Amino acid sequence: MRRRAILLDVNDDVATALVDLEAGEKVNASLDNVSVDVVLHDDIEFGHKYALHDMVEGEEVLKYGMTIGKATQDIKAGEWVHTHNCRSERFGFHRDQYGLKA
Amino acid sequence: MTSRAKTEILGFLRPDDQLGIRNRVAVIYTTHCSMVVARKIQESFPEGTQLFGYPGGCALRSGPFNKIVALGKHSSYAGALVVGLGCEGTDAYMVAEEIAKSGKPVEAIKISEEGGDLKTIETGSRILVKLLQHASQAERAKMTPADLIVGQECGGSDATSGLASNPVTGVAADLLIEDGGTYMHSEVSELMGCGDVLAERAVNEDVAQDIRQAIAEAEARSFEQGRFSWGYGNIMGGLTSIEEKSYGCLTKSGTKPLQGLLRSYGPPPRKGYWVQIAEEGSGTFHGDPEGINQFAACGAHIGLFTTGCGSTTGGLIPVIKVIANPKRMQLIRDNADFDATPIIRGEATIQEMGEELYQEILEVAAGKLTKSEIYRHFEA
Repeated sequence: MRRRAILLDVNDDVATALVDLEAGEKVNASLDNVSVDVVLHDDIEFGHKYALHDMVEGEEVLKYGMTIGKATQDIKAGEWVHTHNCRSERFGFHRDQYGLKA
Repeated sequence: MTSRAKTEILGFLRPDDQLGIRNRVAVIYTTHCSMVVARKIQESFPEGTQLFGYPGGCALRSGPFNKIVALGKHSSYAGALVVGLGCEGTDAYMVAEEIAKSGKPVEAIKISEEGGDLKTIETGSRILVKLLQHASQAERAKMTPADLIVGQECGGSDATSGLASNPVTGVAADLLIEDGGTYMHSEVSELMGCGDVLAERAVNEDVAQDIRQAIAEAEARSFEQGRFSWGYGNIMGGLTSIEEKSYGCLTKSGTKPLQGLLRSYGPPPRKGYWVQIAEEGSGTFHGDPEGINQFAACGAHIGLFTTGCGSTTGGLIPVIKVIANPKRMQLIRDNADFDATPIIRGEATIQEMGEELYQEILEVAAGKLTKSEIYRHFEA
């Protein structure tokens, strides 16, 4: 069966959509011995991420096995993870300064 | 993969013991004033020759001088013809003398001494014929993957670059290094936020400091200028932070220890994984071909070029064009060498495609022509 999402590291908190996914559908993401099924809470466009499990505010969000930012609110499994609920600690501070609003 | 062992690479042994995977003669111009004549000589014998040079050679600057010398010494070349005007700072005899230290036959001519275009073309052509004949008798020698140096360039990136094509080159890099080979990439400015990650992979504390500092400087420059490799398109495409984009780029580095930063030309002093940084002012072309040729100046035999938007350019060494975007692949298949779209289509894993790409590298090393070579995309 064709994969519909890609898991880039076994420690990741998120998977990335390989096609446009719809809220309510059950999606599998797997790599090596890890396989996670999640029912999507939101529509997830190609290239966008969804949470593989529940996360709490302040938790580091891992993709590629590395921190891409911290959760700015609690995030449920299957929720879209993006700039509205995840923010880079490191470069986030500078964003407004340089007009990068997202 | 079982077929890996079967790929026999019969290379070309150079007098300085370098091993090349191609056998060509370089025609080098030392200033823009000698470019037209050099090109006419080279184009008279396109088979087995390549043209490059330093258009700004009127002034002598160490970066570009070192670069054309390093390229002239490249293992792909059996010999070189250097064409100058006569009054430029980047003296043709001096360039030839440096390249000749490799033990290869090198000759230099100056247009002002020969007496204009036609006489120089005649003399130069005669020299080139002699060099081509010499090249045809180059000594052959068996090569193993441990002899190979591969560079990685990414250009025209899109969402598929970080998800598929860059990770695939990272897997191939690991396989090459496990077989004893050498791998490099550049583009430190695309690695914002990756300083600590790469420092952890450094072979010693000096290298850790060096990479941390190089990336910190690139970050500082970005903040000073308010310029980032980051925009709304990235966010719309699903990237949440600069780090996320950088990590997608970093996947091209594989997972092996970082040996160091290459700040001068010539083959790396040790095998393994390196980050390459161009010598000051050495850029003689633009964009991706320049990146490929910088790798060549560091001895790279092959360039891997991942592109999402479908860049068509090559460079002086064989370029394996890797595309993972299915729509782009359909449009630009004629220029693609490696189809990484099965990852995005959910039909293959990064690991599987990385193993295939490594096999492709070995085949190109063994003589398989890439599209960039067939189309003579020898941008320089």
